[in-house]
Amino acid sequence: MDRDRFIAGINWPGTAVLVFVGLAWEAAVRTGLLEYEYLPAPSTIALGFGELASQGILAPDIAHTLISVAIAWAVAIVLGISLGFLLGLSPVARRYSLASIEILRPMPGVAFAPVGLLLFGFSLKTEMVVTILPVLWPVLVNTIGGVTGVHQRLYDVGRTFRLGRRDTILRIILPAAMPPIIVGARISLGLALVLAVVAEMVGNPEGLGYAIVREQQALRPDLMFAYIVTVGVIGIVLNAGMLALAKASFPSARQLRGG
Amino acid sequence: MTSTEGRSGADEKAAGPAFECRSVTVEFPHKFGRKRIIEDISFLVRSGEFLTIVGPSGTGKTTLLRAMGGLTPTASGSVLVHGKELDGPPEDVVIVFQDYSNALLQWRTIAANVAFGIERTLERRETEQRVHDALALVGLEKNADDYPWQLSGGMQQRVQIARALALRPAVMLMDEPFAALDAMTKASMQDELLRVRDRTRTSFVFITHDIEEAVYLGDRIAVLTGSPGRIDRIFEIGLPAPRDQLTTRQLPKFLEYRYAVHQAIGRIHG
Repeated sequence: MDRDRFIAGINWPGTAVLVFVGLAWEAAVRTGLLEYEYLPAPSTIALGFGELASQGILAPDIAHTLISVAIAWAVAIVLGISLGFLLGLSPVARRYSLASIEILRPMPGVAFAPVGLLLFGFSLKTEMVVTILPVLWPVLVNTIGGVTGVHQRLYDVGRTFRLGRRDTILRIILPAAMPPIIVGARISLGLALVLAVVAEMVGNPEGLGYAIVREQQALRPDLMFAYIVTVGVIGIVLNAGMLALAKASFPSARQLRGG
Repeated sequence: MTSTEGRSGADEKAAGPAFECRSVTVEFPHKFGRKRIIEDISFLVRSGEFLTIVGPSGTGKTTLLRAMGGLTPTASGSVLVHGKELDGPPEDVVIVFQDYSNALLQWRTIAANVAFGIERTLERRETEQRVHDALALVGLEKNADDYPWQLSGGMQQRVQIARALALRPAVMLMDEPFAALDAMTKASMQDELLRVRDRTRTSFVFITHDIEEAVYLGDRIAVLTGSPGRIDRIFEIGLPAPRDQLTTRQLPKFLEYRYAVHQAIGRIHG
């Protein structure tokens, strides 16, 4: 049953296009149609993976980047949801802080890399300076939107059933605001990976981001592409994991179905 | 019928009126001063009585109901439940809102929605029993595990009514609960509500702008007119019970009441 559903769930035409592009790429490089020194064929990249694995350097690089993603995302979730509730529930707090948020929000996180370098040198701290701020926004903004978007009638329902403030927040506002919060958390997770890789390229010589630069400078495009593919696969896995977790925790959220 | 048990709390208090409004006036802030929405409203609701309040739009029907439910403060006058003046939403009184899809908790199953008002105070087994009884009362036992958005409008409104009934309130305040439903669903819901009243002896205050609905359901009809809204007249409706969608509506008396209520509203709005 599960296997049948899994097979039925596969996007066959999409997969076919992917396989076709890969084969065309392979053929183009082998026949000399594409003559570019630094574009290896998919088979060469696959061999690169083998080399990285046998040297045992792929796993530590992945681990470093994943840890950075986890820290930045966890900080964003905790800070974003608690600040989002504070701002969502208090019109006064919103009035004082929304202007600041709107000014800070469009600033690219990478722009703070030099600041981080001055403060912390080439380190995980600098990586966090670059990563956390941009990752915070989707959670924060979606939480504020989710909390302020709770329908007035639900507050009436809470009052007619005599809920106190704590129960109103826990039993009405939090679950009602959950779908947009989950969307924000998902966007943040994807962003966290992108920014961690960028930060490792410019601010912290470790992890997958630095490895891509390292292999580029070593003139090993096969290994460089192997790292790039790794980043892509991690992105897909993180997104799928997040979706599965959200679906399992909130089976009622219609918005999550088939997302 | 287990649902009538445990209502002894309401029965003990059956001697006096379940609910009373004493010259209730409600005002809202308006530009530079205050706008009076309803004025000097007085009536009482007997235990087990079905009181309908009918009036054209803009006469403050919803405001009156919210004041009765403790959601809107009164400028003067008082609302009494079992002789006790209320400040804030009282125990034993619960509101059923018109917009059922906004009023239901979309992330909860039907059973969990019905449990919402009682799960904090009652034991789990008692909660489950009451949820089961309330769902049986509105004919939704089979939908306990569905989500609100999987049900039709009429069924969703039944869920809201079941959620209120699970609390076993002495008084149910209903704000045009059937206004968004089609004619056939509306008719069956009206009969269902009267059956629920007969079984539970809950008092109902039912607001509507539909005069026929007010006559069909009501033991008495209060007519709300003007701006600010005032209760102009209260009609005693002497139609035989149980009421029937076909025969009751054809009775000469039904038509007389309908005419009289129309006149009472039209005299001011004509």
